[in-house]
Amino acid sequence: MISGRISRMAGLLLGCAAFVFATGASAETNLKVFVTSQGQPAIWRTLLDQYEARNPGIKVSIELGGTTSDMQAQYLNTVLTAKDSSLDVLMLDVIRPAQFAAAGWTSPIASDMSSYLRAYAEANTVDGKVVALPAFADSMFLYYRKDLLDKYGLQPPKTWDELADAAKKVADGEKNPNLQGLSFQGKAIEGAVCTFLVPYWSQGKVVTKDGKLDFDREAATKSLALWKGFADSGIAKKNIAEVATDDTRKEFQAGNVLFAVNWGYAWAMSQGAESPVAGKVGVARLPAIKGGEQATCLGGWEWGVSAFSRNQDEAKKLVAYLSSPEVSKYMAINGSLLPTYGNLYKDADVTKAVPWFADAQSIVETAKPRPVTPRYNEVSEAIRTTVNAVLAGATTPADGAAQIEARLKRIIR
Amino acid sequence: MTTTSTFKSEADRPAARRSWLSRWSDPDDTTLAVMLLTPAAILLGVMIVYPVSRLIYTSFLDLSLTSGLPARFAGLANFRQMPDDPVFWQATWNTVLITLITVPGSLLVGFALALLANLPFHMKWPVRLSLLIPWALPLSFAGLIFGWFFHSEYGVVNDVLNRIGLPGVIWFNSPRLAFAAICLAIIWKASSFMAMIILAGLQTIPRSLYEAADVDGAGRVRQFFEITLPLLKPTIVVALIFRTITALQTFDIPYMMTGGGPGTETATLAMYIHQNTVSFLDLGYGSALAVVMFGLSMLVTALYLRMIRGSGAAS
Repeated sequence: MISGRISRMAGLLLGCAAFVFATGASAETNLKVFVTSQGQPAIWRTLLDQYEARNPGIKVSIELGGTTSDMQAQYLNTVLTAKDSSLDVLMLDVIRPAQFAAAGWTSPIASDMSSYLRAYAEANTVDGKVVALPAFADSMFLYYRKDLLDKYGLQPPKTWDELADAAKKVADGEKNPNLQGLSFQGKAIEGAVCTFLVPYWSQGKVVTKDGKLDFDREAATKSLALWKGFADSGIAKKNIAEVATDDTRKEFQAGNVLFAVNWGYAWAMSQGAESPVAGKVGVARLPAIKGGEQATCLGGWEWGVSAFSRNQDEAKKLVAYLSSPEVSKYMAINGSLLPTYGNLYKDADVTKAVPWFADAQSIVETAKPRPVTPRYNEVSEAIRTTVNAVLAGATTPADGAAQIEARLKRIIR
Repeated sequence: MTTTSTFKSEADRPAARRSWLSRWSDPDDTTLAVMLLTPAAILLGVMIVYPVSRLIYTSFLDLSLTSGLPARFAGLANFRQMPDDPVFWQATWNTVLITLITVPGSLLVGFALALLANLPFHMKWPVRLSLLIPWALPLSFAGLIFGWFFHSEYGVVNDVLNRIGLPGVIWFNSPRLAFAAICLAIIWKASSFMAMIILAGLQTIPRSLYEAADVDGAGRVRQFFEITLPLLKPTIVVALIFRTITALQTFDIPYMMTGGGPGTETATLAMYIHQNTVSFLDLGYGSALAVVMFGLSMLVTALYLRMIRGSGAAS
């Protein structure tokens, strides 16, 4: 009697277990993808919908957090320090894959990188291992009001001096107090690092050479003085120290800015049906310091797989799809995100949607990467807070350059 | 040894013989004390003793997640790094300054509010509610709200200035103005807390004392200094302890208002700790900074406690 009951109980339990396992195996896999809010999450969503339709049993949800690259990094830092498995796939700013790999937060991915633009193949390879795959390319560009330049017979400027002259000429003619000559990023955000580096690089200088600090204080002073000069002369607005990337985008889009320094994403929105500047926008290479070369900052975002994800294989499959040529083309056409494959820049469908992409490849290919070091966050913080202090008038350009040098010396030895 | 153990077991025997249930339902004094104290001890251990010891332990390690290297004992290296770190000094000085300005500031404003709220109103609840609202608001919201107030283009402060014919000011361009704006926001936020504690204290003072003072011919001012203030002293000290410690830990309001800017001019020690741990992932240095802040809070608390004990002995 007793043994019979036990065996029946055991049978029931086994049956339950079998049922649980069976449903476990056939249940859907839920992947959670972290996407930057400046990276067109709504358009990535349409691609993920397609992916879900093609792969029954896979559900992908998007998570957003933080409005700037550095806020997003802070969020990811807390999640990954805690070895939290809730995020499977991470969209990372181009400066981060090396740091995340050093911290052991991303899984290596087996992939051939030769078809991507070289800069992105390099940014995502650490010690011969692929640590992330490119999501989209980017660099800083000069956005300008084509209609206004045409009206005054001006060409897109090649140097910052030409830009200042053009801005003055347009301001004198338009007499519109709401029209800013130039908008750029002066708030202490990641973008301000590029604000500093663009004119610095333009003078042929580098920050690090072979992993050692190679800082030129004079060039740094000149870079900071250039931006402060724009604010002092009224070409940029007085509170430029409060301006973040999307403020530049919004003000340019509202028609209140003649020249703007911004990333590729600003294009799609400026051409929207509601945009007062649709059809009036031109995009060019950023100007140079007089006598220097035209330099720009390499941007772009990458797809990494969290080392703590419990769905490694599915996550890697998704990442391979999200960095495919098909997706890169779709995002270029629908989200004006620059392609990570060279041949797409001349693709007829792409250039029909975003004509200036035809000239953008050479700009992206010559864009310079920000210093590569695992302690990049500290480098970034030293530069951007100083840019902010100089633009606010709390520090002079010369003192600011000295402060950056002193702080970098403590970080990069 | 043997004698002791025999003695012990004999002494324990009656208790051991009692049933398990009766021991729990009717414990002797020692057992009861242990039973009552254990939950608190465990809670304290888990929530305070362990984290603080772990923090102090980490402050002696060279532990940076960006290096990819395992933790290494570094002795006092993290602490030795501080004197040469300009941001550390700036952040610490700002923290001390915020404490010195906002603690007396919120005490004065809070006291005034409490005295007002203690007046015999017919409708007490609107007054009490408006006292509560700033306190109930999350700190980061308060920071965000004041950040917008003082925004040079969209802020209401500059709008008011413009309307009365004065030029607007770019508040966050100037370290001093930015700092003043932060202090103002903190005082606004903290005064309601002070006011509530002081109001509670005011209501414990018997009316009869004031009536007696009236009979003796003491004026309002004299009553305030002879009755209200002395009787409120313990309440004020408690309020000051809470306020000072939260002032030393100031994070949310400057973080949301200026992010420490311009440059690092308005950064606080708590923000610098957050930056070193969460952004730079330098857990060793971050912990060492946190130990300094912990020490600072302990010092201030000790000073206040001494004040209370001193006043207790005097009276």
